[in-house]
Amino acid sequence: MIGYLVSATFTGLLMLGIHRKVIARIQKRPGPPIWQEILHTLKFSFKSTWVPATASRTLFIAVVLIGIGIWCAALFVVTEGGSVLILFGIYMLHKIVEHGYGLSSGSPYGKFGGVRSVISATSEIPLFVTIAAIYLFTHSLIISDIVAYQAVHGPLLLSVPPAAVAMYLVLLSKMPYGPFSIVESKELVSGYKTEHFGVWRAGLEVCNGLKTYVLLYAAVLIFIGQFPIWAMLALMLALLVSLSFVCALSPMLSPYDSVTVQTLATAFMIVYIIALVVMA
Amino acid sequence: MRRETAFKVMSAAALACIAAWTAMIAGWIPAFAAMAVFIVAFPVFVIFLALWWMYSQGKEDIPFIGY
Repeated sequence: MIGYLVSATFTGLLMLGIHRKVIARIQKRPGPPIWQEILHTLKFSFKSTWVPATASRTLFIAVVLIGIGIWCAALFVVTEGGSVLILFGIYMLHKIVEHGYGLSSGSPYGKFGGVRSVISATSEIPLFVTIAAIYLFTHSLIISDIVAYQAVHGPLLLSVPPAAVAMYLVLLSKMPYGPFSIVESKELVSGYKTEHFGVWRAGLEVCNGLKTYVLLYAAVLIFIGQFPIWAMLALMLALLVSLSFVCALSPMLSPYDSVTVQTLATAFMIVYIIALVVMA
Repeated sequence: MRRETAFKVMSAAALACIAAWTAMIAGWIPAFAAMAVFIVAFPVFVIFLALWWMYSQGKEDIPFIGY
């Protein structure tokens, strides 16, 4: 369990490095080495660390611990076959944590990042519709039941492709350098994490590594099924590379456009769910 | 924070993780209890490990004093 937690963190960081590398190669740049995010984490953990004078000291430090803690919990929920609702509850909690990162620093860049994090909460709405679609087919929201359903009826990716697309949009909104990455936009320096540096940023990187691993793993598990770990990693990698292609080839949307696109995706999903219910 | 304090907290968090894992393997506590310990202790371990090993013995940089 301890080994899995640590290896999931490093695998997630490695995947973020691969994400950056693939984007760079598509854009005809050499890009950083794929282990760059691991090096970043180690580098930040050696840097001088303090809390800005304008920060709320308790919140500034606590959000880092909470950020890592909630994604540890998410990892256990996914690996133990727990409820999708808990997993997606944690995903929403992450939004509050992002908001806390931004507001706790007292920096205007961090604050704007935090506010954008709340705006981008629209990306969670397709998530709820995705959950509804999954429930209509599997009659359960327990991951182990969903996996068992797929073992008999085939992958949900083929049964409910619009729900898989909605989940893909959610993943895309969480990937750095993507069209929906408005919380880390360059005009905000590093957005909500601008003032978290040194050890705090290293903790944030650990949180990002875990989050990337958990979200990719959950997407494969819920829409394709359970496989041996090497096959799961291969499928996660394939999913990641496809996300990298989208990130490399699409510009970052403005906050307004980002919300509009995600709201339209939600509207489409709601129509799809109503059609499913009517046909049933 | 003093380096010794960071080391003590980091060690306590690591021991809590190892103890929970051992107790789970031995069947003394259920898996969810061990996971609850990990969820609390792992972030503490990560942060205090970094605080311990980055602790400077030399002259500090000029700190950022806020906006």
